[in-house]
Amino acid sequence: MNIWEKMLNVDRRWIFLLIGIACIVPFFIPLGLPILPSAEVIGIYDHIEGLGPDNAIFVGFDFDPGTAAENMPMGVAVLRHAFARNIPVFVTAYTPLGQGMAAMAVEELTNESSADYFEYVNWEDWAAIREQGITDRAGIEEAWTAEGNSLPENARGWIFEGRDIALLGYLPYFHLVILGMSSSIASQFPTDIGGTPLEEMPMYQEHKSLREIDLAVTNAGSSACVAWITYGREKIGLPVAFGVTAVMATDYYIYIQSGQTVGQMGGLRGAAEYEVLLHDNGYSKEYGKAFVGMDVQNIAHLLIIFLVVIGNIAFFAGGFNKKTKLKGRR
Amino acid sequence: MLRKVPAMLLALLLAAGLAWAQAEDPPPAESPGAGETVEAVEEDMVMEEVESNTEPSAISATIGDGMISPGGIVVSDWPNDAGDALLVTFEPGSETGSENHTGYAIYRRTLGEEELVLVGTLDIDEETEFVDGYDPDFIVEPGVQYEYQVAAVYLSGAEVLSDMVMAQKVAGGQIFHTGKVRVLVGCVLFLGLILFYFHAAQRGVEMYLRPIAGIEAIDEAIGRATEMGKPILYVPGLSYISDVATIASITILGRVAKKVAEYGTPLLVPNRDPIVYTIAEETVKQAYMEAGRPDAFDKDSVFFLTQSQFAFVAGVNGIMMREKPATNFYLGMFWAESLILAETGSLSGAIQIAGTDAVTQLPFFITTCDYTLIGEELYAASAYLGREPKQLGSIKGQDACKGIIMAVITLGIILSLTDIIAGTDTLGWLRNLVTMPVVD
Amino acid sequence: MKRSIPLAIVMVGGILFIIQYFIPHQHSQTLFDYYTEWAPIVGAFALVLGVGSLSRLHSHKIKRKAKNWQYSYAVLIPLFLVPFFALIMPESLGGGMLETMGGARTTQGVFDFTYMNIQVPIQATMFSLLAFYIASAAFRAFRAKSALATVLLLAAIIVMLGQVPIGELLGKWFPKVGLWILRYPNLGAKRAIALGVGFGMLATQLKIIFGVERNWLGGAGE
Repeated sequence: MNIWEKMLNVDRRWIFLLIGIACIVPFFIPLGLPILPSAEVIGIYDHIEGLGPDNAIFVGFDFDPGTAAENMPMGVAVLRHAFARNIPVFVTAYTPLGQGMAAMAVEELTNESSADYFEYVNWEDWAAIREQGITDRAGIEEAWTAEGNSLPENARGWIFEGRDIALLGYLPYFHLVILGMSSSIASQFPTDIGGTPLEEMPMYQEHKSLREIDLAVTNAGSSACVAWITYGREKIGLPVAFGVTAVMATDYYIYIQSGQTVGQMGGLRGAAEYEVLLHDNGYSKEYGKAFVGMDVQNIAHLLIIFLVVIGNIAFFAGGFNKKTKLKGRR
Repeated sequence: MLRKVPAMLLALLLAAGLAWAQAEDPPPAESPGAGETVEAVEEDMVMEEVESNTEPSAISATIGDGMISPGGIVVSDWPNDAGDALLVTFEPGSETGSENHTGYAIYRRTLGEEELVLVGTLDIDEETEFVDGYDPDFIVEPGVQYEYQVAAVYLSGAEVLSDMVMAQKVAGGQIFHTGKVRVLVGCVLFLGLILFYFHAAQRGVEMYLRPIAGIEAIDEAIGRATEMGKPILYVPGLSYISDVATIASITILGRVAKKVAEYGTPLLVPNRDPIVYTIAEETVKQAYMEAGRPDAFDKDSVFFLTQSQFAFVAGVNGIMMREKPATNFYLGMFWAESLILAETGSLSGAIQIAGTDAVTQLPFFITTCDYTLIGEELYAASAYLGREPKQLGSIKGQDACKGIIMAVITLGIILSLTDIIAGTDTLGWLRNLVTMPVVD
Repeated sequence: MKRSIPLAIVMVGGILFIIQYFIPHQHSQTLFDYYTEWAPIVGAFALVLGVGSLSRLHSHKIKRKAKNWQYSYAVLIPLFLVPFFALIMPESLGGGMLETMGGARTTQGVFDFTYMNIQVPIQATMFSLLAFYIASAAFRAFRAKSALATVLLLAAIIVMLGQVPIGELLGKWFPKVGLWILRYPNLGAKRAIALGVGFGMLATQLKIIFGVERNWLGGAGE
């Protein structure tokens, strides 16, 4: 067995080790290379930028923890954008475990220890304001601060449960749920996951069905995108945007070109692009996790290309292109 | 030389793309929905803040000069629905330019009832038309006669009411959705073609099907496992029974199980979906019966693992590493787990046959499996294996359908070239012919 | 009888719902609403069968003391313990959302604890295996064996470099060409396969509706 053959038959665990090192090292030595947002991501950003407290969006945490590394930063970035612009957000999940993912995202954005966090106001805490009949966003905030509540120094803003966010969570057969929500959101989710009736929420009173929703962003690791397109976009004209894993991204370019989506975040890169847009437009002081993760992708992609090149050199130098088979397995 | 033509073409295409990319910036954002954005925002300006069942007269303040009521209310049935919506249009009155005029309130009552209900509001800059029935709190009943009143709303809170108008139409459901004519034509055409070939095949018309290596290798793979005395692992995908890929996979499972029963090779069928599991079990049991070996059927050979995607993969990978099956079949719908499954199978040294219609997973299977059924080849497998005339006919029918699509695409290319050269807009005509607007 | 009744149900149901799609009338809508209410119920019952299968398989293993039978306890105990906890501590069903929201952490539910500390890391680990396997598969399979394979290889390298910022440092055109490959040649190929798949699905569904394809009933098509 000559050196080229040895190289081609290298134990794959060496490759695993190299990838492991390439994934860990950049966390300690950040590169922080600039990322240029693509038109697909700018499409989503601009759409949300055009919305305000009078509008409402759906953000679907339609993924399992497996793909959280890619999907989670997308969900967090879109939520951050919506919260900063006081756009009411209905949060749903296509899979049972997605509900927990949604909770983690909200937790990340409302945790005092994180930068640019939002101060969460529970449904019960602002009951007195509701009783006064104040339902508009500016009025609620005014009344809330008049009660003596002041925004902590490092917080970006308030999130009023039921006005700015409704955590609807998971329901089985979600494509049928989307279909049902085109007539009434409350018919599918009579309460949020905490048991608060949707009918009592000001955000629901202003947006009772998907027809009154201005965007649905589905962060998906499976077929949720198609369900939102089929039952949301095609049936009632609901604008839909995708956040998908890098592997799936190529599948969904079809919908961009046909104009069925407002944009798409593909993999960690897509999430990082959204974070860059948020940072550059003053919505956050720091980049998020996806931006940091791009360093890992930088090195990993280079390593894989290096391995492919080395493999080909060995393949040709060893003259295997002329032989029918290698001695070793593959 | 001829064989290199596609490669040269691709290389040329790549070079063209490179030159194009260097010459200019990426295409102008394709901003799908850029137009929709405005539309969506406008649509949402329906203010429903005053949604109480307040009688309009109760909130009418002093009516000042120049406040004129809306008029000309016309109520028509909303088309293509289940009879649950009405379209209300009206004339704005003459004071729309007034700064104090903020919008309109639409009131409704059932004929014969006293109480008026506020069913919606419109902002001043919106069109003076309102679809009644979309609000789930104020549904429109089919066949019920309603009366409408529209009020112009002023900044002071004053509302100037129009006359009460009896709706000219009652809501009614339609028998045919006129927006779906193009789908119907497509359905009739494509279904007709497939059915035609079903019958042609039954009449005994000879049909040639090109050989598909992956399908022909199935028997060989089963034989290999039998020789080695090791089990065969069959994963019928991770999707539900409603997925056609799963159904195709179950069909192939039936054939595989029959062979396996004849040879007496152990079979392992892990499932992710409970419904697929019950069907897979029935299929394998039936195959053993047909092979005349019902006693050899092991109830534990077909089993449900878990519904969780990656837990399922962990389970199957564990089986591969412990049981070391000689042959692995991955046929059906797969997502991100495809490579994890196939690469582990490759590590365990099994011969692997994969097949899926999940386009993004195909490259993973192609690189790690010995044979891969690409897209529709998976559906064709049952026809190849069974060689029943109707099954063969269906494949020919599909080809005929694809022929039509290819013709339309060619026409599209010709028209778009004509448009570029002659500056006409003929492609738009074709696009309108084949695309369907939002249906509801 | 055992076969003809399900076949009849499928035929009538299949044709009915093709027709239903074109009829917006309220009666047609009611029929569809019935279906959307029934489908999840049927699915829920099937889950019982799945759990039954899993329990049977592992209890057999324990009974027979088959190889690695001890692990079967690791399946069976949580399988019944989790629903049990959900029943006695219903708040744990909330997915832990309320307990951790807004920084106001109170007690963690059992579900929340297992979700955060077992399920999330395990699933993330499984998915992250892809990175390792992709590298290994790329090393073994990406060979410039033919002219076509060489084009594929070049396109892959350009897209990979175009996806990461470092590619832009190496050449400004990497992201642009990468995107162009994704937007046009990639899309063309996808559409071609998608069309084939679409017609394949159409034909398979027709075969099922008209009873040509019967294997899904169980059995090998006889």
